[in-house]
Amino acid sequence: MTISNHSLADKAAEAAARATPERLVGRVRALSDRAIAWLFIAPTIVLLLAINIFPLFWAIYLSFTNYRANRPNAEVKHVGLGNYSRVLNDPDIWASMQTTAHFVFWTIVLQTVIGFTLAYLIDRKFRGHAFWTTLILIPMMLSPAVVGNFWRFLYEPQIGLFAYAISFLTGIPTSEIQMLGSVNLAPWAIIIVDTWMWTPYVMLICLAGLRSIPDYIYEAAEVDRASNWRQFWSITVPMALPFIMLAVLFRGIENFKMFDMVNLLTGGGPGSTTEVASITLKRDAFEAWATGRSSAFAIVLFVAVFGLANIYVKALNRVKQR
Amino acid sequence: MTDPTLTPQGNAAQDLAPSRRRPLLLRRAPMEAIAVTVIALGFLMLFQPFALVLYTYSLVTLLVGTFMFMIVSKFPE
Amino acid sequence: MSPAKSTSATARSVTTAHSVVEPSSRSKRIAATLVIVYAVVTMIPLVWIFLTSIKSPPDSISYPPKILFTPSIEGYCNLFTTRTRQTPEYIASLPEPEGVCDAVTRERNMVIAGPSNFLPRFANSLIIAFGSTFLAVGLGTLAAYGFSRFKVPLADDLLFFILSTRMMPPIAVAIPIYLMYRQLGLSDTALGMMLLYTAVNVSLAVWLLKGFIDEIPREYEEAAMIDGYSRLQAFRKVVLPQATTGIAATAIFCLIFAWNEYAFASLLTSGSAQTAPPFIPTIIGEGGQDWPAVAAGTTIFLVPILVFTILLRKQLLRGITFGAVRK
Repeated sequence: MTISNHSLADKAAEAAARATPERLVGRVRALSDRAIAWLFIAPTIVLLLAINIFPLFWAIYLSFTNYRANRPNAEVKHVGLGNYSRVLNDPDIWASMQTTAHFVFWTIVLQTVIGFTLAYLIDRKFRGHAFWTTLILIPMMLSPAVVGNFWRFLYEPQIGLFAYAISFLTGIPTSEIQMLGSVNLAPWAIIIVDTWMWTPYVMLICLAGLRSIPDYIYEAAEVDRASNWRQFWSITVPMALPFIMLAVLFRGIENFKMFDMVNLLTGGGPGSTTEVASITLKRDAFEAWATGRSSAFAIVLFVAVFGLANIYVKALNRVKQR
Repeated sequence: MTDPTLTPQGNAAQDLAPSRRRPLLLRRAPMEAIAVTVIALGFLMLFQPFALVLYTYSLVTLLVGTFMFMIVSKFPE
Repeated sequence: MSPAKSTSATARSVTTAHSVVEPSSRSKRIAATLVIVYAVVTMIPLVWIFLTSIKSPPDSISYPPKILFTPSIEGYCNLFTTRTRQTPEYIASLPEPEGVCDAVTRERNMVIAGPSNFLPRFANSLIIAFGSTFLAVGLGTLAAYGFSRFKVPLADDLLFFILSTRMMPPIAVAIPIYLMYRQLGLSDTALGMMLLYTAVNVSLAVWLLKGFIDEIPREYEEAAMIDGYSRLQAFRKVVLPQATTGIAATAIFCLIFAWNEYAFASLLTSGSAQTAPPFIPTIIGEGGQDWPAVAAGTTIFLVPILVFTILLRKQLLRGITFGAVRK
């Protein structure tokens, strides 16, 4: 308090001394405000420039060269758009995009359907729903790598719990349930783990959407004798749609760049049946050391994610306005 | 993917006034919708298993869509 | 939550209780059953991790999977030690075993050769996660205040730029970071990982904290400044105390990200700065993965997150939607 009194006294003195005190004090304060604003924001911007933006531009530069990180002393040649043309004409990379698409599509479909259903059920507000909701949320907070690694054990055909449970329920012998070893099942193995992990995320956002619908709309519909089915499709779904879109976009972005869980579960195998884009990129960059070409591939992925991120932020702002 | 900006609730009331003053190509909502469509198209091209040539041009499409989005999102409503 | 909001919420719940839209008790029962079934099924893998961690290695790989078994500490012993196989004669010649782990190991005809790498890796995880969280929240609070209270030119673009950095694919970022760190001598150092995680986390921190600070009325600071506080004093003495909850929630989110991160850690660290997530999958015993030890490591690794999730459940939605959905 002494400080404030002191500076107050100072200001009073200042005001007395000057002809147009108020404007001047105001200007000094405004100036220092601007200085403070930049002082506060600058460190964050500098850090992001150093660790995110500078490397990004470096990657763009590298994508036009034949640089190889394991031969730092070799002569660096500029190859123009050569890397891009190779990446965008490579049937293997194209195939990894389709693997990614399969993964992204089915995880989004399953997570949206299960997540929305769960949210709808939880919104019935039965007794103890808060407790069960918290329990359901746990998987999404855990490390996808560490938990994904453990799923390898659950998927073991003989000793794994998953195979045993499926065989117990369906009668198929466990030796046929090679979740990670079979070409047909491996893509579904990663979809199952991702769905297990991230359905709670979609559920949580859908729940927020459902709770944002004001009761009076339903009351009005009730007065109009609209059937439950009708209410669901003409009130619940459209009103929750911005939230569902938000969840879908976010899961789309996240799964488009999925790496950790898939790398530990299957490592892209068997063959290349689960080789999603990030795994191909990692092999190209950190195993084949084709730094230039993989940088071009990284830029392609980055552009795709950046495009989605633009739409995502738009969706975020729309939800914010609700 | 349909763009929710095209739904009637938002547009009808707010955009009636500016639509008289600004031509369609300089208004935000419809142009944003087009940009989003271009980005979505780029994604379809990236992901489809039918023609390699579509995959080849997906990057260009995505770039065009994204740049367009960044520019038109500065337009007034 | 502001008092006005909470009263309106209670008002609304009162009307709900008597309104026609209150779900029937039958539909509630069905909903409860389905949700509980889902919750139980979804918990099975986690329960199984814990059960495996207290199984002996033969029990863990038995067919059919054992649900009833004698608990064993062997998984935890194996997690913290490295062992070598010895002849029974040699083991018989040793003095009495010291401690439980020693005895358990000898029953398998092995002796403890030394500590494993788990503790140093776990310590790395702690240092890097807490260090980067501290930095990210510190920088993020300042930047969020700047964005919240002052007219910053191109604020929207800067904020989008900040958010978009978090959405970059980690492998794409890792390529140039790998080269840059090699040049700067930051490869496989805790400092390098800390800076990287700070950069990734600061985006989330700015977005979340801006929301929290926006909610603190400007009038509080303005009143303080009329009382003679300078802008900085008002920030420290008025805004920071008001934002404590928000800062704590943001910190936990940053902590969880840094704690769980795998892609950067596996590509940029290999030895002294390796964190636990890339380490745990490499725990192997004789003839393949030592599943009880892996499960033990996983259990120890997951427990802090479990606690945080339960503490954080109210702020969860806000964090995972970048502050778009409050509640």
